[in-house]
Amino acid sequence: MDTGTMVKTLQDPMGIPFYPILFQFLMVLTFAVHILFVNFTLGLSFLAAYGSARGNEHWGGLSRSLAKATTPNASLAILFGIAPLLFVQVVYDPFWYASNVLSAAWALGFIAILMLGYGLTYVYYLKGRPGRGAGFGAIGLLSFALFLLAGVIMHVLGYQLLLPEKWLHWYIEGNSVNASGTSLHAFQLPRFLHFVVPSFAMTGLFLMLYAWYFKDRADRDREQLAWVAGTGAGMAFLFTALQALVGVWWLFSLPPEFRFFRDPFFLVAAGMGVSLLFYLYRARKDPFRYAVPSSIWAFLTIFAMSYSREALRMKYVGRFGYSIFDHKLNLDLGSTALFFCTFIAGMFIVSYPVYVAYASGRTAGQYTASPAMHRWGSAGLALLLLWIAVVAGLGIVISVKNYL
Amino acid sequence: MYPIWEVPHLSAGIVLALIATFHILPSHLSVGAMWINVYIETKAYRESRPDLLEFVKKYTLLLLVFAYVFGSLSGVGIWYAATVANPRGISGLIHNYVWGWATEWVFFIVEVTGIFIYYYTLGKVDRRTHLKIGWIFAVTSWITMVIITGILSFMLSPGKWPETGGFFDGFFNQTYWPQLFLRTAVMFAISATYAVAVATRLKNDEAKRLVIRTASQWGFAGLLIASGALFWYLKALPEASIGLMGMIVPQGLKNGIFAAWGAMLAYFLFARLKPLSIKLVPAIAAIMVLFIGIWSTERTREMIRKPYVISSYLYSNQVIGKDIAPKGVKAEIARINKEGILRVSPFVPDGLREITDGNRLQAGRMIALIECSACHVLDKTGLRPLPQMVKKLNLTDAAVAGNILTALGGFPYMPPFAGTEAEKAALAAFLVSLNK
Repeated sequence: MDTGTMVKTLQDPMGIPFYPILFQFLMVLTFAVHILFVNFTLGLSFLAAYGSARGNEHWGGLSRSLAKATTPNASLAILFGIAPLLFVQVVYDPFWYASNVLSAAWALGFIAILMLGYGLTYVYYLKGRPGRGAGFGAIGLLSFALFLLAGVIMHVLGYQLLLPEKWLHWYIEGNSVNASGTSLHAFQLPRFLHFVVPSFAMTGLFLMLYAWYFKDRADRDREQLAWVAGTGAGMAFLFTALQALVGVWWLFSLPPEFRFFRDPFFLVAAGMGVSLLFYLYRARKDPFRYAVPSSIWAFLTIFAMSYSREALRMKYVGRFGYSIFDHKLNLDLGSTALFFCTFIAGMFIVSYPVYVAYASGRTAGQYTASPAMHRWGSAGLALLLLWIAVVAGLGIVISVKNYL
Repeated sequence: MYPIWEVPHLSAGIVLALIATFHILPSHLSVGAMWINVYIETKAYRESRPDLLEFVKKYTLLLLVFAYVFGSLSGVGIWYAATVANPRGISGLIHNYVWGWATEWVFFIVEVTGIFIYYYTLGKVDRRTHLKIGWIFAVTSWITMVIITGILSFMLSPGKWPETGGFFDGFFNQTYWPQLFLRTAVMFAISATYAVAVATRLKNDEAKRLVIRTASQWGFAGLLIASGALFWYLKALPEASIGLMGMIVPQGLKNGIFAAWGAMLAYFLFARLKPLSIKLVPAIAAIMVLFIGIWSTERTREMIRKPYVISSYLYSNQVIGKDIAPKGVKAEIARINKEGILRVSPFVPDGLREITDGNRLQAGRMIALIECSACHVLDKTGLRPLPQMVKKLNLTDAAVAGNILTALGGFPYMPPFAGTEAEKAALAAFLVSLNK
């Protein structure tokens, strides 16, 4: 059985409920958000540990805030990891499942490692006090190391997926098989680094945003905030420059027949990356002013890079005649509408607590909401109840039709 | 067919079951906790009882760390375990219910941002705003259950889906409503049990008394309603599942359900009458008792789905057993019987595709790995080990073993053997070779 036939054989016969291009778009978009929070989590957990090790006035104060910020960022990284994980299984099912089963023990180890790493961030934050010593600081470093190890595993699973021509070699030994799932089979250093190095650039931007966010609060130390903003801007520029070099390394390590340097997705992403670098160079002069626009541009660059990564994946799998656009379509408009309506409602509902958090963080002392804010919250709650009513109504109608 | 992940002694399926079992503890806490929390917080404001906010803070922290670190990750862990234990099963579910899961994920966004904001803004925003965030979070958490119940119940009783292929026909299947009521009622009992445990750590006795009394009332009522919903659920089960309940579900599991139910009712009653006498250790023991009850119920639900992983569609060994005409999906048994499992599966050594005298036992082992290992380990000990089963049946003759394989499809809980006659003979020879 040749590789192309093998992949076709593995494909789920059930088809997909909407056009593949939509799943691809959602996969790329949610992956970009996911990797943004992964970057924050890695960078923040490292800087929190680094800061407490440095222990001087600037770093000591910042370290606690970074440890606190690591926890929601880790949660958001997990949360936004769920969506691309779902969509990749819709359009790349043969690749994702085969890659995972071939390293099954590691795929599950990934979860255990994340639990430990994430659990430790809470220990580090909740039990951390100034002067706890190097031993305690090691907990922070260990949580960073575990997050990084989880990244290694995810990188391998994502890379093995691209190499179906090697799957049988990894699994079959003579006339028997190695079904233990205990090996990691493929690793590509520049690709891995291209996901990790930006953690420090993005965390630099996080520091700039942090300083910008608190700058109008009278109870905050201006001098400390200026130091945070300056340090962040320096980090963002330096590591973006490093990232550009890693990108070139990765580009040269790709199979030459892909001619990826001519791919339009790549060209757009690379162009945005270079322009980001110039922008960050300027941002160092006034990091408070540049914090928000540079972060927006950085996210758009990540989004373009994510599309470029997807274009690369299409080239890898295209070697065997696989295209997500050949999927069998079993159109299901009802469930598609359910998702999109819920998504719009959900964004409205979540905007309320997010705005409350934003506003209260900028207020020294207790934040008191305006009547308009209360109406916003009530509307969100009403929307939730409406969702329940509509879905329950639909369920009752279907149950009556089918069973009574 | 994907490669197989073979876990010595345990089987990949048991690894999945272990993770899923652990997940019950934080996930049921996460869906129910906020209802108690918001109730207590409201009481604290209305009756000017700031002492009660100590409970709110502690309970939310438990929720934040236990449910949203270990609960979230073990939830993803179930998915990963299903991916490596039964990739075609999870793939079949996802290709039908991707929008269901995506819808669930939207509510996860509200939930996850909600818990952090609720925890960190307690005392930092005005009361009305904080309560509103709490209510949004509580309702959202429950909605995640409304959605996942549709997919879980679909796996056991797919309703009209095999005929129509419709998303909602499978979602609102015959066991959906009773299961939703059952889970909702149990959710209150679970969050009440945790609330009692948290309340034992409160410094203020008045606050402790009030929280334990309230929680035990909620828990008691939840269990009573759950018992009604359980009967409704049992009545709604497909006939085949009811048959399996008597046939293969061990008495121990049934006892586990009823003993835990009785013990928890007594516990809540006692806690209601003597709230201050409850200490942390017995309160944690109560969580464990509850856990035994839920574990027994969930295991039973898994067992009465046999021989399928998705009822009326996919067998537990990942072979498609039935046509799903509206989706254009064909059953695979006939094709595999004609062409051979060793030929249609890509992940088979080339040297085993043609069975010879020289490779018969290896080929037999390969077939056992593909078709049997989901439920029977090939080791001497562990989950329903094949060597022990052939010893029990005293299989010494390959022809007799072959006859048993032919008859498998007649057992209500076993998928039929899929493969050519030569493959059946190879598997039979392998089975007999285990009887040493």
